[in-house]
Amino acid sequence: MCELSGKLMAWLDHELESDEMAGVERHIEECAECQREVAAYREVSATFHSYCDAVMESRERRRLPQWVPVLSAAGAIAFAVVAFIVFQHRRVEPLVPAPVVKTIPAAAAEAATVVEPTSVASKSVPRRRAAPQTRRETLNWAPAEPAIEIAIPAESMFPPGAVPEGVTFTAELRIGADGSAQQMRLRPRLIGFERRGTQP
Amino acid sequence: MSGDSIPIAWPLSSLARDGCEVTALYRELRKPLLRYLICLGLSTDEAQDTVQDAFLSLHRHLSSGGSQENIRSWVFRVAHNRARNRQGSYHRRFGEPLDGEMHGMLDQATPERMVLEKEKFRQLGKAMRQLTEGERECLLLRAEGLRYREIGEVLGMATSTVGETVSRAIKKLAEKCNV
Repeated sequence: MCELSGKLMAWLDHELESDEMAGVERHIEECAECQREVAAYREVSATFHSYCDAVMESRERRRLPQWVPVLSAAGAIAFAVVAFIVFQHRRVEPLVPAPVVKTIPAAAAEAATVVEPTSVASKSVPRRRAAPQTRRETLNWAPAEPAIEIAIPAESMFPPGAVPEGVTFTAELRIGADGSAQQMRLRPRLIGFERRGTQP
Repeated sequence: MSGDSIPIAWPLSSLARDGCEVTALYRELRKPLLRYLICLGLSTDEAQDTVQDAFLSLHRHLSSGGSQENIRSWVFRVAHNRARNRQGSYHRRFGEPLDGEMHGMLDQATPERMVLEKEKFRQLGKAMRQLTEGERECLLLRAEGLRYREIGEVLGMATSTVGETVSRAIKKLAEKCNV
């Protein structure tokens, strides 16, 4: 090993006195062994600096993704809440309100459906944009929650004499949007005691 | 939170009022201090807290009429001692495998370069774990640009001892890394 080997690092770091720096430099120019050592020290030193930079950068990078999922989740939740609130308040009601069900006397029909839509002109329906008045007549509307009332003679369901005369049963059917029956309810009625309509 | 967003808005504004010198010192030393502390084994949060503590101490030191000589080594010494007090995490860095740490940094490199760099860092990390604590600290402080005299002031060593330690540590790394 060269006798100046111990001063090579100090020479590389400019930590020697000026005259000593010059002496070591002259020696390195002539000594192949010291040239190899200096080259190796330079390379290790550069790698060490890169290593320190890399550690610092990787720490900074690693910290970022910790926030990304949290922010994303928070954003998604906030969006869902806002969307829920907005659509709750802005729900458009049907152009035609729920139909009025009219009771039909049992004797009038075996099964009949009468549906009368109420006037929409007199009601203000909250919506994003009001439909033009002229279009309402041509709209192929459907009730939001159809209701059908069917009057059934008691004789068709019970044996003769089992039900007092003048009693009928009314079946209330609730039909879902897909056309299937959702609910049925039987109500006894006395003929001649039907609730009177509001119209005289 | 990145290293550029150290939560020291209040202390910094206070320091700025004390004079441009401290502000200039902060700009010059913040990143080297953070890198030194992180490479010592502190977490990013711990390193940022330690840097903040060190500059608060500097503020108090200068406000009380303390010496303004060798301020760089003074700040490093305060930060180093604060890091020493956090013994729980101080040694963590050199006890962990470093491959995962390097993975993020090498994402942008070509595959060949990535493999070479990764292997180089792996060897260096392994070699660094075999250095003594003093050798590692000397090399880390040297990497931050401190002179041997300043390293000696930070670590409480003679300048000549620092020179010998740095030389010995670099030789060890060169041997272990087959350079």
